[in-house]
Amino acid sequence: MAVLSMEQVTIKFGGLTAVNEVTFDIEKGDLYGLIGPNGAGKTTCFNMITGVYTPTSGKVIYDGRDISGMPPNKIAEVGICRTFQNIRLFSALSALENVMVGAYLRHETSLLSGFLLSPRAIKETAEMRKRAMEFLSVVDLAEEAHSRAADLSYGKQRRLEIARAMATNPKLILLDEPAAGMNPQEKDELREVVLRIRDEFEKTVLLIEHDMKFVMNLCEKIVVLDHGEEIARGGPAEIRSNPKVIEAYLGEAV
Amino acid sequence: MSLSKILGTRVISIIVAVAACVILDMALSSVIKDAYYIRLVMLAGIYVTLSVSLNLINGITGQFSIGHAGFYMVGAYAAGLSSNAFFDKQPLAMPAYLIVSILIGAGAAAVAGLIVGLPSLRLKGDYLAVVTLGFGEIIRIVTLNQEAWGGSYGYNVTNKYQSIALVFLLAIVCIAVCRNLLKSVHGLSFLAIREDEVAAQAMGVNLTRTKVTAFVVGAAFAGAAGALFAHDSGFINPDLFKMEVSFLILTMVVLGGTGSITGSVFAAMTLFIIPEMGRIIKFEVSQGMLVALLLAVGAMVWAIRRTTNHFHGAKPQKSLRYLLSVLVPIGVGFGVGKVIETYTILGDKIYKANDLRFVILALVLLVVMLIRPSGLFGHHEFSWDWVKSLFNRRAVKVEA
Repeated sequence: MAVLSMEQVTIKFGGLTAVNEVTFDIEKGDLYGLIGPNGAGKTTCFNMITGVYTPTSGKVIYDGRDISGMPPNKIAEVGICRTFQNIRLFSALSALENVMVGAYLRHETSLLSGFLLSPRAIKETAEMRKRAMEFLSVVDLAEEAHSRAADLSYGKQRRLEIARAMATNPKLILLDEPAAGMNPQEKDELREVVLRIRDEFEKTVLLIEHDMKFVMNLCEKIVVLDHGEEIARGGPAEIRSNPKVIEAYLGEAV
Repeated sequence: MSLSKILGTRVISIIVAVAACVILDMALSSVIKDAYYIRLVMLAGIYVTLSVSLNLINGITGQFSIGHAGFYMVGAYAAGLSSNAFFDKQPLAMPAYLIVSILIGAGAAAVAGLIVGLPSLRLKGDYLAVVTLGFGEIIRIVTLNQEAWGGSYGYNVTNKYQSIALVFLLAIVCIAVCRNLLKSVHGLSFLAIREDEVAAQAMGVNLTRTKVTAFVVGAAFAGAAGALFAHDSGFINPDLFKMEVSFLILTMVVLGGTGSITGSVFAAMTLFIIPEMGRIIKFEVSQGMLVALLLAVGAMVWAIRRTTNHFHGAKPQKSLRYLLSVLVPIGVGFGVGKVIETYTILGDKIYKANDLRFVILALVLLVVMLIRPSGLFGHHEFSWDWVKSLFNRRAVKVEA
């Protein structure tokens, strides 16, 4: 069964149809790429999946239930978490605290026990700190645990966002342009991280990316959007040779 | 050591806190007989509670609320009215009933916090500020027009009772609750909202629940402070809860450093005491000296900022520069002031300290905000590690 199905999802902003009847299925363990030129509606798709926008029509089905229109925090709770295109870290908090906010989603003690700092709350806080540390080392940021998020380099901030999303323990993780602004070496490292997330942590990954080489080397399935409509779908080889894709997006063969 | 094992550090710290408050209460009432000073200490304690509780809403959760005097007022009136209505009909003696009354004040203010918090959740920044400001004023004006509550004549709380111990105990509880929150992982969800609402929600933080909790808890403490105030002075009147009070509390939070509990406590005491110092300390200053000193403070701020931003020397040299930035302008200002004074260049008008109370307050605010825009403590908190690091700086350097 598909982890996530987009069923003819459409969203209109006034007269503009940003996403038009987009339909695709993501299976468990997929490494799925969502590509398209600027303004194609990729991030809008992400925003509909994560509850920022409610589709005008169509359904977003996750794990057999319709999640379209659910608030973002509920969607994080059912198991979808994301990173942001324009990095949105909690700047004044440390890297560790950022990841702990992600881990907080699975808290068990009540807010009251937080105000009273009950022994259980202390224990839970320590556990979450430990778990957050583990996710930081997955993205190779353990040494920066106590640096302010705002003080980290761009590439590190991107990786920190991934660690924070991972800490919510999602089944499906959405990465919005994770490689943007990274140098080739950082991109290689990121590729390793994404593969580890999928293989070792057994997550399903959906990512938006502009860097063609990065997507083609990483994703097994790709869907291409243009002007809010799907124009192609398939493996990297098919996409590479699809004339529509070449015309709309790539401009030339890659 | 064994004692702490038997009772647990928590129980011990509670006992110590209660004992300290009771001792402070007894010490004050036996050593200082002057009611004015006792009232000063009491009000300082109340302002600590008010600013720490506003810090929870404003500094920690990042919800810009400027109607805190409204919650304070709800607490004061609820406690005062219920105390007058029920006190005679119940079996408790006064200090015990005062605790009941505090709970009533806190409860009423918490309900008010819920009422303001819920609809305000969709608003951010300036818009939320306007709504909370409106709430504070509406509460005040409604009360002003209630004849049964005394209207503009004010309301007499017949069961007057002063308890410094309870005032400081409340402040300690308020500080402890906020500190606990920040020590536990729950506090991070509040901070996350302050930092980035969209990201916080995407990480699963329930915005509604968290923001409303901050409003309700913050309001409850302000209400409890109001209950104590009403019983202490025995008289409340809508003019005591004007917008200026809200702004004073907000200023305390900002001056201390938004989000820092230590900062809120420190700034509450400082800002409350400074205007009163003008009454306590007697000094006179001529117009010429005043002008020269004001200019000197300006020069001092300029010099300090210049050192901060443009001087990159070693630490001892930098400290020396800071010292000179303070001493030179003030010294020169004082000298020039003396000259102007001697030759009566700017007339011979004399100002008393009492006239200058709010000038000095405004000056302190200006200087602090210019030198430290993030407030006295920034986001930092007091900790023993920090104190140790002050003494061990040299040792740490050798290790490194």
